[in-house]
Amino acid sequence: MNHTITKGIGLLAALTLSVGALGACGSAQSADGGKTAAGKVFFLNFKPEAADQWKAIAEEYTKETGVKVDVQTAASNTYEQTLKSEMAKSQAPTLFQVNGPVGLASWKSYTADMSKSEVYRQLTNQDLALKSDDGQQVLGVPYAMETYGLIYNKDIMGKYMKLPDAKVKSVKEINSFDKLKAVADDIQQHKDELGVKGAFTSAGFDSSSDWRFKTHLANIPLYYELKEDKIATQPESVKGTYLPQFKQIFDLYLKDSTTDPKQLSSKTGDDANSEFALGEAALYQNGTWAWTDLEKAGMSKDQIGMMPIYIGAPGEKDQGLATGSENYWCINKKASKDDQRATEKFLAWMITSEKGKKAMSSDMGFTTPFKSFDDVKSDNPLVEEAVKDSKSGKTQVSWNFTMMPSEQWKNDLGNALLEYAQGTGSWDKVKSAFVDNWAKEYQVNRQA
Amino acid sequence: MSEKTKKSGLWSVFFTLVSILWVFPLVLVLVNSFKNKAYISRNAFSIPVGRAFVGLENYRRGIERTDLIASFGWTVLITVGSVLLILICTSMCAWWIVRVDNWAARTLYVLFLFNMVVPFQMVMFTLSKLADMLGLNTPWGLCLVYLGFGAGLAVFIFTGVIKGIPRELEESAMIDGASIPRTFFGIVVPIMRPSIVSVAILEAMWIWNDFLLPYLTLDMRRFKTMSIAIQYLKGGYGSVDMGAMMGCLVLAIIPIVIFYLICQKYIIKGVLAGAVKG
Amino acid sequence: MVVRSIRRWWVLFTVPTVVAFIVGFIVPFLMGVWLSLCRFTTVTDARFIGLANYRAALADGEFWHALVYTVAFTIVTTVVVNVAGFAVAYMLTKAIRGANVFRSVFFMPNLIGGIVLGYIWLLLLNGVLSRWGRSITYSGMYGFWGMVLLYCWQQIGYMMIIYIAGLQALPGDVLEAASVDGANSRQRLMLITLPLMMPSITVCTFLTVTNGFKMFDQNLALTNGAPSNTSELLALNIYRTFYGRTGFEGVGQAKAVVFFVIVALIALIQNRLTTSKEVTA
Repeated sequence: MNHTITKGIGLLAALTLSVGALGACGSAQSADGGKTAAGKVFFLNFKPEAADQWKAIAEEYTKETGVKVDVQTAASNTYEQTLKSEMAKSQAPTLFQVNGPVGLASWKSYTADMSKSEVYRQLTNQDLALKSDDGQQVLGVPYAMETYGLIYNKDIMGKYMKLPDAKVKSVKEINSFDKLKAVADDIQQHKDELGVKGAFTSAGFDSSSDWRFKTHLANIPLYYELKEDKIATQPESVKGTYLPQFKQIFDLYLKDSTTDPKQLSSKTGDDANSEFALGEAALYQNGTWAWTDLEKAGMSKDQIGMMPIYIGAPGEKDQGLATGSENYWCINKKASKDDQRATEKFLAWMITSEKGKKAMSSDMGFTTPFKSFDDVKSDNPLVEEAVKDSKSGKTQVSWNFTMMPSEQWKNDLGNALLEYAQGTGSWDKVKSAFVDNWAKEYQVNRQA
Repeated sequence: MSEKTKKSGLWSVFFTLVSILWVFPLVLVLVNSFKNKAYISRNAFSIPVGRAFVGLENYRRGIERTDLIASFGWTVLITVGSVLLILICTSMCAWWIVRVDNWAARTLYVLFLFNMVVPFQMVMFTLSKLADMLGLNTPWGLCLVYLGFGAGLAVFIFTGVIKGIPRELEESAMIDGASIPRTFFGIVVPIMRPSIVSVAILEAMWIWNDFLLPYLTLDMRRFKTMSIAIQYLKGGYGSVDMGAMMGCLVLAIIPIVIFYLICQKYIIKGVLAGAVKG
Repeated sequence: MVVRSIRRWWVLFTVPTVVAFIVGFIVPFLMGVWLSLCRFTTVTDARFIGLANYRAALADGEFWHALVYTVAFTIVTTVVVNVAGFAVAYMLTKAIRGANVFRSVFFMPNLIGGIVLGYIWLLLLNGVLSRWGRSITYSGMYGFWGMVLLYCWQQIGYMMIIYIAGLQALPGDVLEAASVDGANSRQRLMLITLPLMMPSITVCTFLTVTNGFKMFDQNLALTNGAPSNTSELLALNIYRTFYGRTGFEGVGQAKAVVFFVIVALIALIQNRLTTSKEVTA
């Protein structure tokens, strides 16, 4: 037996070598086989809610130009890992995206210079682009400015405000956490009269929904802290100054909700969406991109509005909606030259042709930072709200979650929030996930 | 006597009840597949009537979103292709190992045995990487990967069977002038037939349902198996569409149930053959 | 003479299988062992770092949690599946009307794939638990018993089939003789049937142990580790370490090697226990 094993290993070693040779042939062949003069595009899409729309517009482009465009969409919360496995393949994406400076850091060796591209030239504000450290190269171009806040159902709010003892008579009066809480508590109390199940939709922690809290909601206290400390780039650590306010708003979501917090672990984004669309809740934390799903679920444009998320931070009466981008296009430097060129052309077409513009603004619901979109008027009511808000003189909340140290940080925070929500964990765990974990993950990623 | 019949009757009632409980999860999925998605997670046990009833809408959306028909085709192709390849190649290999029985044959056999105890996670990254480098990220390539990773069990079962076949049969055929391949396919294969069916069933059950190997190996832009398509429904669109999910689950279960009803006898034989797996 | 002429046909008979085997198993396996000693994000940038990955793996509390969780899961399911499988098989081999139908029904779940099974039970369990305002991902314990239920539903029929075959192969004359000697049915079961069934019992036990230990698809579909990775079995923990975090590929691979060693040890113990002549060449 021992004898056979020794011999087996010898045989193995020999065979391994021969396969190595075979492998070399195989990969060389496939690299040649895929090359066509026109090049091709492979986009790894980050936004699952826009998956169908990207597919459709890609087919349209292929029909028009003959250039093949593949779009693959990563499932919620899996973009980093999908990108990693796709980049390792021989047919890697030619177009991918990063979520900001932190994301860019891990993909720097893959990002081509886009300073001569049409998309960069068309940017209304070229400072928005991600640049290399020396400022010479443009490595990422934002393509979507998005806005989130508290989406409300105008019908239900109207009905509430007609109640004799309503706390406010107009949505405009809600300009602080205290007012928001008073209204939400009141709606919850009168839920039977108003025909709702709760003031807020379920704060679901399924992976299709938990980013609304671990990323978007957590951004608000983070924004106030960084603003107070005048920090503009990713810090090594955070203090958690506004965590008490974070707790306030999260408690409110849980208390005045349609759903028992013990059930939140399995509630999905779809659940919250249908609760809101069926008129079972008045308030729904989400953003401009949610319109497509709400429309599909039967809501009409004049039914919805959006207001800022007030958490009780100082000076919040001037606080606007949260607007920013975590969507930067990057072209894969390691793709063939033809493919890179084809990708640039595809992007140019997306932002200048009528079809591309329509797809991006109305079908996907993006507010775009490009000059070519000046003539486009969106039929997305949430985008209209966002535009109105940006012109109102209020201070927009920036998207600081692009500075969050890692996906792991967000996941740990999400887990801690869920445990707190269902009563199986304490708020201290959330604090530690927010503050201690920041420093830890920052170091881990530094090393990696 | 009558005491015994009565007891047996009671047991029949008992098992009937348990059987109903047993198929209940499947019935539940079937019922929910006709429900509006908003009503599924609210109350899984309500009957789809009135506003909640959506007819075949979930099936339509499920098929459309996951491209389930194509996935079904690929799954069939991968399963049939891999099983055929495994049957032909490993039975030949097993015969050679048993009859030649020199150091090389014995080493190979030990390696195949070793293959059977290695969990897939051990090789998931390296195997999918290698398969991609060699261009095996297509359904056809995947058949080769399955032949490689799944060879152990098939070789093991086949060698066991071949050891029991008297070699005199083969020798007399060869003396009569039959070539080696002719001897194998004309004499040995017919004797092995029952075990070939068993191995086919075992491997088919594994490959049809397998998730991680095709998920990591296949070029997902072009090919998805049914398991992958269903898993993709979760989170692949930023939300979990429970309606489409129910439709897809039913469509995934139906072919299996049909296959089971037709081939039950062979499936059970296959399971028993697999039970020798060490 | 005959052997030599067969040997000469090695190209046709062995090369296809062996080449596929090398590509599909041998090379990935060796590379896997090597990479567990490296820091890497893809194969080409691997850098040897010794045992650091193993140290990181063993220092990971979630890995230990997953290990304990998996062991507990395996023990519970092995006992339940085998006791229930044997009991059902024992009853169904007696003269019961409809035994064949029952047998078919119990076996059926076994053919359904793990992903599909997971989502079937997600619907059922969440439907039931919502009566108490809970859901399957409420805590690791909920997930644990959910998976136990699912796995029993899937496996009892499978083991039942093997036990039925074993029971039908029992020598009838021994049981008959015992019955003539005045042994009651309980004594016959405990003193004669069970000892004679030991080979089947060993086989089934090890099948349940290894399958339970390696379970992945069902876990992924039913809970995906939620909440806070407390309902995570080993296989899923390895997968998440590997693909979930950049910079942790080596640790994931090291965990996979540990996993492999455990599974191989179980197989080795089984090998010792079953006195099969087939096992070594």
